[in-house]
Amino acid sequence: MRTMVTTEAARRRRRGPGLLGRSLLYLVLLLVAASTLFPFLLMLSTSVRTGGALVNQLDDLIPERITFQNYRDVWVADRFDRYFANSVLVTVVVLAANLLFDSMVAYALSRKAFRGAGLVLGLILARMMIPVHVLMIPIYILIQRLGLYDTLTALMLPSLVEGFGIFLLKQYFDGLPRALDEAARVDGAGDFQILFRILLPLARPALAVVLINTALSSWNEFLMPLILTSSAQTRTLTLGLALYQGRFGVDYVHQMAAAAISALPIVILFLIFQRQIIAGLTRGAVKQ
Amino acid sequence: MKERSRALGLGALIQERLWGRELFGWRQRDAASTAVLLSPWVISFLVFSLYPILYSLYLSFTQYNPLTGQPPQWVGLANYARLLGDRRFLQALQNTLFFVVGTIPVTTTIALILAVILNQQLRLRAFFRASYFLPSVTSMIVISTIFVYIYAPYGPLNGLLALLGVERTNWLLSTRWALPAIMAMDIWASFGYYTILFLAGLQNIPEELHEAAEVDGASPLGRFFRVTLPLLRPTLVFVLVINTIRSFQIFSEIFVMTQGRPLGRTTTVVYYLYTMGFQRFDMGYASALAYVLFFIILLFSLIQYRLIQGEDVWG
Repeated sequence: MRTMVTTEAARRRRRGPGLLGRSLLYLVLLLVAASTLFPFLLMLSTSVRTGGALVNQLDDLIPERITFQNYRDVWVADRFDRYFANSVLVTVVVLAANLLFDSMVAYALSRKAFRGAGLVLGLILARMMIPVHVLMIPIYILIQRLGLYDTLTALMLPSLVEGFGIFLLKQYFDGLPRALDEAARVDGAGDFQILFRILLPLARPALAVVLINTALSSWNEFLMPLILTSSAQTRTLTLGLALYQGRFGVDYVHQMAAAAISALPIVILFLIFQRQIIAGLTRGAVKQ
Repeated sequence: MKERSRALGLGALIQERLWGRELFGWRQRDAASTAVLLSPWVISFLVFSLYPILYSLYLSFTQYNPLTGQPPQWVGLANYARLLGDRRFLQALQNTLFFVVGTIPVTTTIALILAVILNQQLRLRAFFRASYFLPSVTSMIVISTIFVYIYAPYGPLNGLLALLGVERTNWLLSTRWALPAIMAMDIWASFGYYTILFLAGLQNIPEELHEAAEVDGASPLGRFFRVTLPLLRPTLVFVLVINTIRSFQIFSEIFVMTQGRPLGRTTTVVYYLYTMGFQRFDMGYASALAYVLFFIILLFSLIQYRLIQGEDVWG
């Protein structure tokens, strides 16, 4: 009796709400989707307009004439080519360093029984709870004293090893059988060979999460470039956009082109790898 | 008895000699290897975490302006005392609390409702998920730049409101609307992230529990409050805590959109900290501010954690 009722209920659940309820739900979801997409469409639509022409009504959203002159102005004359190159360089170095260093530390924490391992893990977790604003003044003073102020190196140095990546990779390594390392050790492999030849290839899912989180936070980083650089030579895209005033007075067409230049690489990557990125960012958060 | 123990001792000694040398060599090599593996973290932790934490604690008891060339002057608790009487700090604190209290319940409710809807068997789920999540991967600077335009005196929002006969407002220069406008943008920019977190939490709840409640005659709303919400408690705690931590640190929005204007109505604690540290170079005072912020965040996270962990909330 009970099982019959349950399957009946389950069937009803699988069918879900009725037609009216269903349409209502879709309407809500579509309106919300429209609201999240609208600002991005507005940015693109405004960025290809000729100077002065702005969207101020909804029926105006599709421009009559399209020009890429704003992008050319921003990219060449307003130095966004330089900012873009700086952002790419910083992100690539930070990414490579984190993949290497985070996995080294994670390997030690997962595979080596050393005194103080618990302390190291505790310090890594404690560090993740401290807001960057407590650190920024001493980091600024330190970078000044090292003579690295207003260099790209200053932007890379503080984020070469991140507790988040270490923690995630350590957890993943813990789940991989130790028999794998022991077999390799019998064959004469050292720690680095075990790490790079055996464990890392198996830890690809965790590496992807670290890669996505590190790349996004490095690309979107704003505070460090703001306090550690001063000249246009070392400006990253995010800082360049924040300081960009346009070309004349209130100049939204150029500002939207500049915003599009810094948003598009991420948006395009997101559209291609959305499943992995959503899983990576939310899993990353839950694992913290 | 004595002989035996001596023989045992000798045996142990020989054994230790024989094994120990090899064992010792292996251990030493192993320790060296562990040290190499750990070194990137150790160096980075000492230089970019531990030293800054301790140095800013020290600075918070000093007066220090790096532009003068003078070393930090010890002033004891003067910076902390100054904070208590600093009207602009208290206003920044009030603005930040207003921001936290005004956005988090709204963001959480929207995210929870959308997650429950998306948890149904619906078509286009991937499309909805992706479009809600899109603002979360976009930098706050890009989002703020777009919203400066949306909120502009002759921008799209006023254009839209004009159709409804609402008068034009200069949103970001209005003492009344500037902060709520930034808060609305923050809700827009962040609800998608929490929606996905709630959705993941919902998918962990076994289907049978809903069915059992349905069989017992619970209404959909009753099922939500009696079954879904209590089981979602860990996700809810997590969402509230990380959103509180993030909201107390609102900065880049303010930097791009208002720089604290009008009349300090949009100055947040971190924005004030930035102006004290990097525009006035009053770095001792700014360090005291940073420590106070840190303890406020810690306190709120603990309170939230306790409140929602308590059995009597929905029990």
